[in-house]
Amino acid sequence: MSTRWILSAFVAGLIGSVCLGNDAASLGPPDEVARVAAEIDRLIAAAWEANGVTPAPVADDAEFIRRAHLDICGRIPPASAVRDFLDDESADKRRRLVDRLLGTATYIVHSTNLWRAAMIPEADADQQIRFFLPGFEAWLRSRIAENRNYAQIVEEVLTFPFESAQMQQFQQPDKPTPAAFYRAKEAKPEKLAAATSRIFLGIRLECAQCHDHFFDKWKQDEFWSYAAFFASLRGEQMRPEGDAEQAAAGETESAERRTASLAPVVMIPGTERTVAAKFLDGSDPRWEADVDARQVLADWVTSPENVYFARAAVNRIWASHFGVGLVDPVDDFSVSNPPSHPEVLDLLAREFAAHDFDIKFVIRVIAATRAYGLTSRQTDESQQTPRMFARMAVKGLTPEQIFDSIAQATGYQQPFNPEEPLNFNNDQRRQEFIETFANSSDPPTERPSTILQALSLMNGEFVADATDLSESRTLAAVAEAPFLDTPQRVEALFLATLNRPPTDGESAQFSRYVSAGGTSDDPDAALGDVFWALLNSSEFLMNH
Amino acid sequence: MPRLLTLSRRDWMRISSAGVLGGAMAPWFPALAERAATDPKRTRSCILLWMSGGPSQLDTFDPKPEHENGGEFDPIDTSVPGIQICEHLPQIARQMQDMAVIRSMSTKEGDHTRATYLARTGYLPQGPIRYPTMGSLFSKELGEQTADLPNFVSIAPNRFVSPGAYGPGFLGPQYAPLVVGDVARGGAAMDEDDSLRVRNVNLPGGVDHRQLDGRLELLGTLETGFAASRPDVTVESHQLAYEKAVRMMRSQAVGAFKLDDEDNALRDAYGRNPFGQGCLLARRLIARGVPFIEVSLNSAGDNQGLGWDTHQDNFTGVRAMCEILDPAWATLMTDLGQRGLLDSTLIIWMGEFGRTPQIAADRTGRDHFPAAWSTVLAGGGVRGGQVVGRTSEDGMKVEDRKVATNDFLATVCRALGIDPDVQNISNVGRPISIADREAEPILEILAGSTHGA
Repeated sequence: MSTRWILSAFVAGLIGSVCLGNDAASLGPPDEVARVAAEIDRLIAAAWEANGVTPAPVADDAEFIRRAHLDICGRIPPASAVRDFLDDESADKRRRLVDRLLGTATYIVHSTNLWRAAMIPEADADQQIRFFLPGFEAWLRSRIAENRNYAQIVEEVLTFPFESAQMQQFQQPDKPTPAAFYRAKEAKPEKLAAATSRIFLGIRLECAQCHDHFFDKWKQDEFWSYAAFFASLRGEQMRPEGDAEQAAAGETESAERRTASLAPVVMIPGTERTVAAKFLDGSDPRWEADVDARQVLADWVTSPENVYFARAAVNRIWASHFGVGLVDPVDDFSVSNPPSHPEVLDLLAREFAAHDFDIKFVIRVIAATRAYGLTSRQTDESQQTPRMFARMAVKGLTPEQIFDSIAQATGYQQPFNPEEPLNFNNDQRRQEFIETFANSSDPPTERPSTILQALSLMNGEFVADATDLSESRTLAAVAEAPFLDTPQRVEALFLATLNRPPTDGESAQFSRYVSAGGTSDDPDAALGDVFWALLNSSEFLMNH
Repeated sequence: MPRLLTLSRRDWMRISSAGVLGGAMAPWFPALAERAATDPKRTRSCILLWMSGGPSQLDTFDPKPEHENGGEFDPIDTSVPGIQICEHLPQIARQMQDMAVIRSMSTKEGDHTRATYLARTGYLPQGPIRYPTMGSLFSKELGEQTADLPNFVSIAPNRFVSPGAYGPGFLGPQYAPLVVGDVARGGAAMDEDDSLRVRNVNLPGGVDHRQLDGRLELLGTLETGFAASRPDVTVESHQLAYEKAVRMMRSQAVGAFKLDDEDNALRDAYGRNPFGQGCLLARRLIARGVPFIEVSLNSAGDNQGLGWDTHQDNFTGVRAMCEILDPAWATLMTDLGQRGLLDSTLIIWMGEFGRTPQIAADRTGRDHFPAAWSTVLAGGGVRGGQVVGRTSEDGMKVEDRKVATNDFLATVCRALGIDPDVQNISNVGRPISIADREAEPILEILAGSTHGA
């Protein structure tokens, strides 16, 4: 086992109080955040009213800090941060917490994981694509670290100078570049068309690839007109010869005709028809010589006037906080799948565009809404429908969130590579664990647990070490601190895992168990049993 | 979002209070002996031999020796006069009296992802509805929720081509398969002993069952408190997975996964490869009452997980696959037969589609072909020794008795004694029957039916 423990200040960090640190995060304009959040509150409350829904009470501070950490940083908070937050009596502490978390390195890592999973879902299944992820993640991390305008990030993906010849080339896998996006789509126009429209516009065109969509408006021609923007990647860009000659002849043509002939064209497979590149709203691009078709597409996709673009993005961010999108599934905007709260979607999209596509702004707004701050306890039958946002849904964690949260709780120190301080994905132990927990096809509110996952957490090496006094940093710290009595030791383990103190009943039962030495007359082993039970509980393994 | 949550929650509470998960008085589950075949209560079981990638019908069960599309393999006689199959399936040929070959499968999906979804769920992917895979559907009807072993075991599934086609869908997590020998990376070269074990099923060193009881008692307190006000499917799924996992850990039935208990000669006969040993494991699980097991044949030798997807070099590929399939499947049939289990076990052989009759000359390959292909039903519930349907001389189209996926699934239902019209409530609130109501089962295949062959 090659884990490295760094013991300094750990005991203090776990059970004492330390400075929260990293307060340097830039505070968003608070009035703007509050204004938009209040408007959303009003719209959601109106829907509650209209549907006879009684919302759940506000979450207590412990529930809120755990949720905010998992959603923003991808892992549970350290026990010390929980204690400090519970002790903080200022009125705006939730807003300040969110601002602080958005300034942490773990936000960058988690946000990169989320957007990477959205952009290159293929990597979960394909080892060869996964090989190129370090480079993609390094690139994306750097953009998220500087909180780059989302439109610019997407533009960079769409216009990346990828040549299909690169598919064959060896490439340094960790050089920061979005090239993996093109590799994952095999640099094929049809795959890029399906992926970019789905990811960046929330439009599922892929069924229209082979036939007109049965119950939606997209037609096969529209699919291939969109795919034509990527035609140059295939090196098959075709223009009918006559047209090209006429374009060269130039002067006798109308301006319109001239620009149209610059449009890239693809032939629809299995037919004799060719179609020219055209935007999905049916409008014709204005073509100029020397401007790459993908740049033309990127300008249209990321334009503030393109409502699809901002809506798809804010919907994804919303879903990552609530477990359910305003449109759900998040990438299926269609007439047959309307949003639950169209005004909220429009408002957030508008404000996102107005705030220079600032992802952090959207997160600040969402985290400041009343709906986000509600408890996950159901207090009324009417809170059952998740799309009413009348209580927080209980979300399964991503494999990364589970591993990083166990690591946080147990004091497992992930191997550190100074060359890539933010790349945790090169830890072999983490990789193996993540493969056992990969359920990526399911939405977070329906993410299933499997028998193998339960067995892995109950009996697997990672948790076994964490609950073994000689291997576990947290457990050793709690068991050996001389100034703690048994109820305090139990409380410390609750704070490290569930991020809340035990209830009176739990405290009494668990302390009694430990004092009696568990099943083997050994209080230390019994404390390990308490830790084991906490780490295996649904309260620990869910975001709620 | 009703999805029968109340019922399963109540079940959970009942199970918790009965001490399955927690409590020093946790019940000890006695060893589950291999169930006697004569047990009159014995219900039917099913083994799905899933042929990932789409096997070539012309080079397996629908040979066309008279036509150029037939390719380079010769047909051989079988134990049933008049029925011929490919020369590379010699052992299976001797079991034909217990098999019904359907040569007239006809569907419209030629894409791996969609065709796999259709073949395994009976439906095409449609908006938000998450259709269950047939193992979940059938094991729900055939199994008991309190069994020591999971009711649905999936051996070496190659799920990545179509993940949605391998899960319980709207039936929910209690109908999810236990997956062993996951060949996520598609390789055939793995150590079969290691790969088919259930990982982490034994307690870690230094922890005994008494300590586990103590731990589970604490866990039970936490679960009851948290779940009391959170009727979420995620929580339910977590608790069900733990409950099943603990039941397995405490049960001797998990010994089913220890293949080294078997005679070496028998293990050799199945074939010392993941598929062969997977078939042996399927028999051991059937004998312990597991109602649905699927074994995937994904690859052979060094063909890198391409399996039956023989766009290139079809004949080398198919032959290699047949050499794994033939001994494994044939031994499975005889082994089940000798234990008196064949009559109650339906064996399905199928992939997601067939392959083009024309051979691409430049690469000696066959491409995807859904219009006319073959599947096989064998064993229990099936009137063996017959062929259903006929394709044209060139194999390009079905000329008699066209069978759609629905019809096929309805037939499987009937062979298993399940009503294909049984409806389940989907995640969109609409009831959906196991096989589409339009489906027509192939009655002449069913044992005990009065239709002539």
